[in-house]
Amino acid sequence: GACRVSMSMTEIRAGFTAIKANIQSRDPIRTLSILSHPHSLHKVKSSDRCCITYQLFTFYVDKVFKHCRTEDSFVNRKISSIANSFLSTRRKLGQCHEQNNCMCGEESTEKLKQILANYEGLNVTSAAMKSLGELDILLDWMEKSR
Amino acid sequence: SGELYCSLPNPRNVRFESVNMKNVLHWSAPEGTGDGVFYKVKYAVYGVGKWIRKPECKNINRTWCDLSNETSDYEEQYYASVKAFLNGACSDWMETTRFNPLTDTKIDPPMVSVSSTDRSISIVLTAPEKWKRSPEEESISLLQVYPGLQYNVSVLNKKTKKRWFFSISNNTLVVPWLEPGTAYCVSAQIHVPTPVLDSGYSK
Repeated sequence: GACRVSMSMTEIRAGFTAIKANIQSRDPIRTLSILSHPHSLHKVKSSDRCCITYQLFTFYVDKVFKHCRTEDSFVNRKISSIANSFLSTRRKLGQCHEQNNCMCGEESTEKLKQILANYEGLNVTSAAMKSLGELDILLDWMEKSR
Repeated sequence: SGELYCSLPNPRNVRFESVNMKNVLHWSAPEGTGDGVFYKVKYAVYGVGKWIRKPECKNINRTWCDLSNETSDYEEQYYASVKAFLNGACSDWMETTRFNPLTDTKIDPPMVSVSSTDRSISIVLTAPEKWKRSPEEESISLLQVYPGLQYNVSVLNKKTKKRWFFSISNNTLVVPWLEPGTAYCVSAQIHVPTPVLDSGYSK
């Protein structure tokens, strides 16, 4: 559905880039991805983009950021700054969702189920850290489909 | 067959070096080993469960391996790994960090063509192409890969050393009100706002 939300991709990107190597080095599992396999975000229909974005922001706010504390205060600060950006964007997307402008089709509902299944296939900390390390997969997809 | 017991020092600094998505794996020889070291290379698509050997980089003695073909889908991310062999001994597999072709590549400067009248300069900019397997393959401009791509253009009056900067999204620029009979130097850079990528300035 139609849903235009402004968010600072550059700020989120910069925050993630600063901690990417640190976060990804904490994820030893090469053979499993939360977001990109078996279904790729890049195959999402344009009509479902708003809903997928809203659901994934909800996923990160509710299930990822809170489980990603590290012993490194710099990394923690960057994570909370990204989390705050996600929180405010999710709120805006939520308004679209309430106005029925952001509904999920069947295919996307299936994809979201798969993402949650990938997440629940790992223990919480590993799943959250892996999801955080895949933030660029989400950002790449969002930028490409703007 | 079980892995050999590997006592050889490991290859060092295993990393991707990428320009316009020509993605080449590079590494340094294990410490303290002279000539005679050979290497094997494998790679994996992140999230897919298998490592794939690169036959063209099996038992090589150079310290690079072109994986552009294997990593050309920039919607995926990758790992690569190198193992060293010397006189029957071997090292461990040494891996890269996770490689994202979209954000981890460097971009060449744009091509700049300039024409002028006595009081203005017309500049046409062309973004570089993404690496491709063969000349016959269809070209993909990096403009298609990075829709938000912009150009930063600098115009220098060589007599007064006065310089103007322009930031444009389309690829043409006309600079009017110039001084006749004066030499100007035009240089341009590519800027991708997000993910942040900047080329050098063109010569």
